[in-house]
Order: sequence, then structure tokens, then C-alpha cells
Amino acid sequence: MDAVLIIQSLISGIMMGMVYALLGVGFSLTWGVMHVIHISHAAFGLIGAYLSYSLLQYCGVDPVVSAAVSVPLLFITACGLYQLLIRPITRAQNIVMASMILTFGLAIILENIMALIWKADPRVLTPTYSSGALIAGPFYFQYPHLVGFGLSVLGITAIYLFLKKTYTGMAVRAAWQQPEAAQLYGVNLYRISMITFALAVSTAGAGGISLALLNSFEPHSHNLWLIYLFLVVIVGGVGNVIGTALAGLIIGVITGLSMAFLPFQWVNLVTFGLLMIFLIFRPHGLIKQEGM
Amino acid sequence: MNKAYPVALAILVIFLAAFPCIGPEVYYLSFMFSVFMYVILASSWNFIGGYGGYLSFGHAAFFGIGAFATAKLATMFQLPPMLTMLASIPAGGIAALIALIVGYPCLKIRGPYFSVVTLCFAFVVDLAVKNIEFLGGAEGLWLKFMDIPEKTSRTIMYEVMLLLMVVTLAVSWFLGRSRFGTGLTAIRSDEEVAETMAIPTAKLKIQAFVLSAFFPGVAGGLFAYYLGYIHADAVFSINISILIVLMAMFGGGGTWLGPIIGAVILTVVNEGLSTFAQAEIARIIYGALFIVVTIFMPNGIMDFFRKKGGKT
Amino acid sequence: MKENRIKDFSMFLITAVLCGLMLMTPAAGFGAGKTIVIGGSLPLTGAYAETGQWIEKGMRFWADEINTKGGLLGRPVEFKIYDDQSDVGKAVTFAEKVITVDKADLLFGGYPGTAARAVMPVAEKHKYVYVSMGGHMKSFLQGYTYSFGAPPLMGEWWYEGFFQWLATVPAEKRPQKAAVYTINNPVGLSLIDSIDRWTKKLNIKIVINEKYNAPLADATALIVKAKQSQCDILFANGFFPDGVTMMKAAKALDYNPKAIVQGIGSVVPAWVKELGKDGDYVFSGTVLSGQLKYPGNDKLNAYVKKTYNLNEYPLYFGFGYAWMQTLEQAVTGAKTLEQTKIRDWLKKNEVNTIAGSLTFDERGLPAPINFGTQLINGKVELISPKNIQTREPVYPKPAWEK
Repeated sequence: MDAVLIIQSLISGIMMGMVYALLGVGFSLTWGVMHVIHISHAAFGLIGAYLSYSLLQYCGVDPVVSAAVSVPLLFITACGLYQLLIRPITRAQNIVMASMILTFGLAIILENIMALIWKADPRVLTPTYSSGALIAGPFYFQYPHLVGFGLSVLGITAIYLFLKKTYTGMAVRAAWQQPEAAQLYGVNLYRISMITFALAVSTAGAGGISLALLNSFEPHSHNLWLIYLFLVVIVGGVGNVIGTALAGLIIGVITGLSMAFLPFQWVNLVTFGLLMIFLIFRPHGLIKQEGM
Repeated sequence: MNKAYPVALAILVIFLAAFPCIGPEVYYLSFMFSVFMYVILASSWNFIGGYGGYLSFGHAAFFGIGAFATAKLATMFQLPPMLTMLASIPAGGIAALIALIVGYPCLKIRGPYFSVVTLCFAFVVDLAVKNIEFLGGAEGLWLKFMDIPEKTSRTIMYEVMLLLMVVTLAVSWFLGRSRFGTGLTAIRSDEEVAETMAIPTAKLKIQAFVLSAFFPGVAGGLFAYYLGYIHADAVFSINISILIVLMAMFGGGGTWLGPIIGAVILTVVNEGLSTFAQAEIARIIYGALFIVVTIFMPNGIMDFFRKKGGKT
Repeated sequence: MKENRIKDFSMFLITAVLCGLMLMTPAAGFGAGKTIVIGGSLPLTGAYAETGQWIEKGMRFWADEINTKGGLLGRPVEFKIYDDQSDVGKAVTFAEKVITVDKADLLFGGYPGTAARAVMPVAEKHKYVYVSMGGHMKSFLQGYTYSFGAPPLMGEWWYEGFFQWLATVPAEKRPQKAAVYTINNPVGLSLIDSIDRWTKKLNIKIVINEKYNAPLADATALIVKAKQSQCDILFANGFFPDGVTMMKAAKALDYNPKAIVQGIGSVVPAWVKELGKDGDYVFSGTVLSGQLKYPGNDKLNAYVKKTYNLNEYPLYFGFGYAWMQTLEQAVTGAKTLEQTKIRDWLKKNEVNTIAGSLTFDERGLPAPINFGTQLINGKVELISPKNIQTREPVYPKPAWEK
């Protein structure tokens, strides 16, 4: 087994894992703060991907630039959706369940709206650098991977700093750790939840764009993406930003190594099998302490 | 508890059993067959997911194991068609056995983490079947069909699935009213407290999990026989796993009637929409149904009507 | 009470949207009993929606055409198409519905291969003629008598044309080492068949022969392996998503084999449209082509040019149309809608479709049809056999344009 294959495989595995992490970090946040399992999270990522596809196709805007348009757009849409759909169910006895059923319905609706607007044909996001690579000795750093990786690091760092440094971010954390106490101190839970939800949806948009740089997508692709982000979030520990990033790395390493060492037929099986074993031995994800 | 309730149910079952006598078209038998199947899947998922609060997201695995085990037994022993249907019982046994092995370590994990472990488990089984020729392979398996008129064979399938549904629902009924069921509910509300109350939580969970794998296994065997050709994509689909959970929760998890209502409504609505509306719009309406129901009845349909009925 | 207002408002909005959608829904009603109803299901939503919708378009084009000509047996035709949501179980139930409840006069073929595999026995049991692409060779070996592949999508035949052309290349210029990556499903597995036969014959060594399960999230390792083993021909036996992932990795990692052969991902219009120049020079096969001189092809090309702005009709559009042509000629020939007579007519007679003249054997299959294709400048060119060649293939493949 030669080193070039292993390292090359690790490079692309890790970068891919980080893209999953960006897609997953918002999911983790809504789950942690609001106890909302947002099944349509990946569908919003797909909307981000389609928006930048259209912007690239018709206006020639680079996906990274168009993220600056679609991410705020998703933020506003998400605020509206929160008020309209999520807020009415916050009083449910079991909000986890209620939110799951509701957002499952939302995911179906979004998928088919996308199918109506953009048709069922598969799409590929192809900016000029889409299949180039930075060559460093024997190793290739593919540009789409690099851009996805960059967006991911940027996005996750931004979320982390937001939670750690800003007043609103601290309120989010407070609302999550001590909801009653936070309310006593004048934190408006609904407003906080709305911001969290909208922020999560926007990161999904950025994640969707990054993932679209790597793979082709169709209106139903969000089902597949949902599985990836579920894994990242659970391995990282629900509600844990740093954990999610680490989980992305770990999943990347597992995929990279199994791609290098195993017959390809067994890669997916081994990845899921290892994740199962991992969870059996670390039943709370990587980082148990909730909070960051 | 109203005395008229069991009587009404018995009459309903007799009506259902007699339904083929009025000579409905084959499609109605097949459609009812799939309704029964989803009632079985949702109700048996409810043993562990509803009563016990352990949300398994990989129940299609047991359904698929049953399907492939039946097909495999049939091809290995060259079983005649009628025996193939019976082979779904040992196939259910195999599904239960696998549930026992997997459940032991997995049921120690709680909350969402359990859901994801079961999700991974379903993928592992799916990929194992595709990769290992002995287990079925990526080509799929064909089953011999009965050499009798189509209507007769579909009637037999219908009656067998109905019988399985009645058995599953009976088990579900007794489970809800037994100490076993009470124990599971205690686990759902607070597992630590349940343990201090000397409830053997580990044992109860395993038993519920195994039981909830057995019936889908048998149903999977019958489904394989119904399709005539099975492929891993058709029986291990993540969509089936999710649909099972949603059906149970939609109606109201942890109740006897909830999964039945959920399964019936969702199957009928989905089928009806595909008949009357343009494809994408049908799906959008179907999606909107989930949203409307959740906003109106955030605690499930059962809870909503109980409150309406005046009983808390 | 603000809470309630929001709730009421959202309810109102949702109800309004729902009512609007209901109204938009076309009423499903049938005309007089005189129409011939052709029923079945297609995957119009879900994983196979794209292909299903192309098949539907091809079928509808045929229906419009025949209805303006005065209909089938003098009666107008009408479709009853259900959306099986890419679910095999639903495809079976809908086939039964079409046959027993809608009492359709004719059945049309579905997609994908797994659905066709499950619907073929239903058609057999109900004695309905089922003209479809089938589910590759295995499905035609089950002894069904009512199923016809007219023309079939036969993975086992898919690369015949390409290999026949490759055999004409002087031995020293042929590739020496092959990397074969195959998606682990019925399509992929049936594609291996011709590769095994021909590589032995042409003395090409298969250095890498691996399968992968969908989804293929990343193809870096696959390409690195092929590159390191100096494989000079790459077989990417897969669908669109995995095909695209592999092509992108091959370009990024600057892997330049003499030829890249792709399964059924490169036949969809999206391949050219989305990949542009990067999708060029890929070899594949086909059973249908707008460039063949069979009658009808020009008409179809003109239609897709006008309606979808495509230079040539897509494969699955052609499939939908060709299956209907077969059914039409069988019904006209048998002069009846009795299924068994239609079947017997098909077993004995020849049909003329956009894929040429077809006669069917015991299995319901025509003689193997396949044409080698290559994408050159965003256009599908026929390269083999020689008599239909539209262009000399580009070989070896030029290095990637950076």
C-alpha cells in the first residue's frame, strides 16, 4: 500500500467531511437549542445549491459570491418560516416528535417545489475552477474541495464566534442551558429561537453550495445529504459546534482510509459499521458536555 | 372500558375477512394488503418506539431481512409457493434473532443516539445483502408464483396479511395493558426512575425490541412473495424506515390505536393523491398534510381526539 | 393571545395554499368509452423522476401524433399514468390497478429495471402484453411470454458497438490495461458481461475490477488507483451522479487514459448540458439514436428541437416513443385489443420502430442491437458499426483542457 494513495485519499476525505460538518452544524444547533429536529435542513441546503446554480448559469456569478446573496435570503425566509410553522408547535408535549413530522412534510414540499422550478434533471455546479487542482508534489488539492473546505471552516468559525462572543449568541447559549433563568433575565426565547433557526438554515445554504461543488444534485438529493449530516451531528454530539467539526474530520478520515485500504465495495458498509461501533462505545458522541 | 368496543372490533375484523367474498377487483385486495402491512409495521414499531420511547430509525432492516430470508429459504429448498408463505415465519424468527444480537449493545444507547445507531444498522444490513451473494446480492431474487388464478392467490395473500395484522394488534393490545407495557411506559417517561422502581429495564427493552422485529420480518416475507421479485432497494429503503416512524407518531405513539390511524390515513391519502393529482402537486399536498396535522394536533391525532372527547 | 393569532394565520395560509393547489390539479376524467386507455406507472417524482418524465414525454408525443391521425383502430387513445414515486412496490400495485380497476386496454412499460422486473410477472399473470425496456437479460430468462423488450435497455449488449470498433484499431494502438469500476446494482452488473468477453478477445488486461455502492461521494481514490496502475482505459459503469464524480476527479487529478467508457450516465441530456467540454470524448452505447436513418427519427428530432431546444431526442424520450410504436403496430396488426392475440402477433411479425425493424424470439427479445457512441463537441456521435458511423472517433482521448 503506497503512501501517495493513502494521503491523497485522506486529503479529499477530510475536506469532504468538513463540508458535511458545515451542512450539519446548523442542524445540531436547532436540535440543541430548540429541540427541533429539522428534517428539511438539507432541503434548504439544496435550495442554496440551486440558487447558486441559477446565478452562475444566468448571471455568471461565482458560487462563493452568490453565497453572499443566497445565505441572507435563506436567513429571511427562515425567520418567516419560524413564525409561521415552528413557533405554533413549541407548546407540543414532545417537540422533538412534532418538529420531526412537521419538517418532514416541509421537506417533501420543498423537494417538489424545486422539482417544479428547476425540473428533475440532475445539475452540476461548474464554475471555471470546478475540476482544477492545486498540485503540491505528488498530491492534488482539488479546487472544489478546497473551496468547500474553506467555506466550511469559515462558516463553522463564524457560528462558534457568534455563540461565544456576541450578546445574542450568549443569549442563545443561556436559553439553551437554563431556559427559565434566561427568561427571567429578559431573554426573549422566541426571538432567540428564531435567530438560531434562521442562522442554522443559512449555514445549511452555505453547506449545500459547498456540497454541490463536489457532487451533482437533483431535487431528491436532500434525502441523501440528510443522512450525512445526521451522522456528523450525532458523532459530534448534539448541539456541539466544535464536536460537529471534529466529527466531520473523523468521518473524513474513516472514509479516506477505507477508500485507500479496502475494496470500494466495502467502503460504505465499513463506514456505517464503524460509526455504529463508535456510538456503542461512546453513546453521547465525541464530546459529552453540552454547550459548545 | 366500554364492553361494546371489543365486539365492534370483532365485527370489523369479520367484515374485513369477508371482504374478498363480494368479489372486489385484485387491486383493492392488493391495496388493502399494503394498508395491513403498514399497520403491522407501524404497530410493531410502536412496541419499542411508542411504548418504550426508543425511536428506531432502522426498522426497514427487519422488514428487509424477513423478505430476503424468505426468498432465500424458498430458493434454497425449492419450496412450493404455499410453503414459501409459511417460510416467512422462520424468516421473522431470523429477523427477531438479529434484533436480539443487535439490540443487546444498541439498547444501552439513549435518545437520538439510539435512532442513529439503528439508522446505521439498516444501512449495514442493506449493503451486506448487496455485497454478499449468499445473502441475496445486488441482482435481487425472483420467487415462483402460485399456479392458480390471480384473484385466488391475491385473496390468500390478503387473508394471510389480515391474520398477521390481527395477531400483531392483539399482541399490541395486551402489551399496552400488561405489566410489560407499564414497564415500558415507565422507561419512556424516565429510565432512571424506572430502574429504581426495580423494573428490569434492560430485559424489557430487549424483549420489546425483539418482538417489534419479529412481525415486520414476517410481513417482509409476505411482501417479498407479493412482489415476486425483490431487490434490496425495494425493501431496505430508508424511506420505509422513516415512514414507519412517521405513521406511528402521526397517529400518536405509545397508544394502541395511534399507529393504526396513522398507517391507514397516510397510506390511503398517498394512494388517493397519486390517483387524482399531478405528480409533484400530489406530493406537495401530501407534505402539507403533515404540517397541518402537526400544527392542529401537535401531540398526535389520538391525543387531540381524546381531549375533544372530554377525557383527559 | 398573540400565539393563537399566529397559529390561526398560519392555518389560514396553509388552507388557502392547499385549496389553490387542489384547483390547479387537472380533473381526472375519462372521455367516452370509445377511447383506448393505456395505463401504467412511471417514476415521476423521487430518485428516477428525470428519466420517468422523459419517457412520459415520448409517450405523449406518440399519443398526440396518433390521435391526429385518427387514433388506434379508429379510436382515440388516452393515457392513465400513475406516479409510483420511484417505489417498486407501488409500481406493482399500480400495474394491478390499471389492469383490474381502470380496466385499461393496454399496459405501458415502466422504469427503472427493478420496477420492470417486478411488473413483468404481474403482466404475465394477468395476461397483459408488457412492452418495456425490461430489467436486463436475467428478467427475460424467467419464461414470461407477454413481455417484450422493444427495444430493450440491455446492459449485456451496451458496449458491443464500442468493442466492435475497438477491434478495428490496430493491436499496438489498443489500450493494454483496463480499470473497471462498476456500480453494484443490476445495471452495473449486466454491463460487466460484455467487458469480460471482449477484453479476453482483444487481449486487454483487467488490472482493476471493483464494484462500489451508490452513493459514490468521492472518486479520488478510484482515479488515483487507476492512474498508479497505469490503466489506459477506464470503464465507469454507472449512472449520472457517480459518473460525474468520476469525471471531475479524473480531470482534477489529470488522469488521461486513452479512452473513458461510461455506462448509462452519459446518455442523459444533462451530461452534455452540465459538464460541457469536460463530458466530451466519453464512449458509451445506445439502442436508439436520432441520427439513425430509420423513419420517424427526423420527426422526433424536429419536435425536441422545437420544444426542448435539444439537437437530438434523449434516449428515454425515444424509448417511450418506440415502446408505443411497437404496441401500436401490434394492435393494428392483430386488429384487436385481445392481449393474447396481440402477443401472438408480436411473436410472429416484424415491427418497424425508430430503432429499426424488430422481430422477437421466445424470450421476447429482438436480435442484439447496439451502436457504439462517443460524445464529441457536446454531440453524441455514432462510431460503430461502420455503416452508420457519423464520425470517426477521437482516439486516443486528448488530454484534459486546463
